[in-house]
Amino acid sequence: MVILGITGSVIAFEPELDRLLHPHLSRVKLGGTTLSLVEIGEAASKKYSGEPVVAYLPSSSPDVPTEVILSSGVVSVNQYRGEVLGLRTRGQTLLGFIRALHVRLATGVIGRNILRWSALAMLISLASGLCLWWPRQRIRIRGPWWSRLFWSDLHNSFGIFSLLPFLLFTATGIVIGFEDEASSLLDKMHVTNPVHYSQTQPRSEPSQASTELTPDQAIAIATAQLPGALPYRLQMPRYGGLYIVSLAYSDNRIAAERNSISLDPRDGRIVAVNQSANLTARERFMATNEAIHTGNILGMPTRIIAAVASIFLPLQVVSGLLIWIRRTNILQRV
Amino acid sequence: MNRTVAVVTMLVTSAMASDLTGKWSGTFKVDGGDHTVPQLFILKQQGKTLSGSGGPNASEQYPIENGRIDGDEARFELTTGEWKFTYALKQTAPGALNGTLKLQSVNDSRNAKVSLTRSKAN
Repeated sequence: MVILGITGSVIAFEPELDRLLHPHLSRVKLGGTTLSLVEIGEAASKKYSGEPVVAYLPSSSPDVPTEVILSSGVVSVNQYRGEVLGLRTRGQTLLGFIRALHVRLATGVIGRNILRWSALAMLISLASGLCLWWPRQRIRIRGPWWSRLFWSDLHNSFGIFSLLPFLLFTATGIVIGFEDEASSLLDKMHVTNPVHYSQTQPRSEPSQASTELTPDQAIAIATAQLPGALPYRLQMPRYGGLYIVSLAYSDNRIAAERNSISLDPRDGRIVAVNQSANLTARERFMATNEAIHTGNILGMPTRIIAAVASIFLPLQVVSGLLIWIRRTNILQRV
Repeated sequence: MNRTVAVVTMLVTSAMASDLTGKWSGTFKVDGGDHTVPQLFILKQQGKTLSGSGGPNASEQYPIENGRIDGDEARFELTTGEWKFTYALKQTAPGALNGTLKLQSVNDSRNAKVSLTRSKAN
């Protein structure tokens, strides 16, 4: 629980921390006309031995650089000047390790099982905590910090104020931990076919035309199809494949990023459309569950609540442990 | 007797290290993960060099990079986007490739077990 709480509070602000750790790759000065993706891709590719572009991550804000994915890593490019800011190679970082601790104790099946059953145990602990708090209903802190009264009051007061977020994060964490079982149950409840995963809508077969669409043209066609959505990723066609443009609606925090349009690179014809509006009941439930668990559901306010509640979790564990030690006099017996 | 054993061993080894050219399908499962992920490879072997493509299915294929064969072992990479897949496979039986996979993004690194079999419709 201590590990979950500490790592959870860090993960709540992972994107911001990631940018903070790589400031030179995360910010650009505003400056004139934006270069085309082709020019940006050529700048990145030229810098790294002519490696082909795998995908583009277009800038999400005027002061954020465009990123180009190559085989050797992710290259940040100033989209106004074509200057290559640097390369992030692949491999586990501190933030990656913290996330791995949170989801699987940085191990494999054993760590994941420990966490999922600990979450269930925590749900029981929360219910018993409420039962213990209810008769006296303490919401004040008395006594010096070393006294048993202080820790007991602290445990009671912080516990009751953080009960609702604890319940929400624990319940949603259990659903994530038992994702397969939850998905299977939802499929049974809604009598949906568990095999179908996305709502791909085939529009037409790929054509045999010879001209090649540019990445910028692919994005223009895709954004025209979903007004109001912003492109955040463009997968390049390889081996006769398709352009895949991923788009997000900024006002939809639950399934905002689950929109994609596949285009024939030869003539720009739309081959398939996946839209967040077409998610199944199960997919929508799981996406909502994840948005609650990460705090993304209402944006920054709920992310702050997620981070603060996560910090309270180890505090509750420590105060609870101190109360138990003093009550049982275990140290004196030893 | 010893000569016979040596000859049989040589024949078995050479049979197991047969040409990998063709279609291979199977799955990988990330350590600690719940799901198996489908895999389909279209491999081309030329001497000790391995090329071709791979991905989750026939319509989503990525080029194989740095592919090489060493005896009955095959090593190659794929970059699908944010993730790079590094395979280290061994031909454990004729028509069967098993081994490990390392998945790496800019923040994360995971390991997985891979199991592939040669598709009959090559």
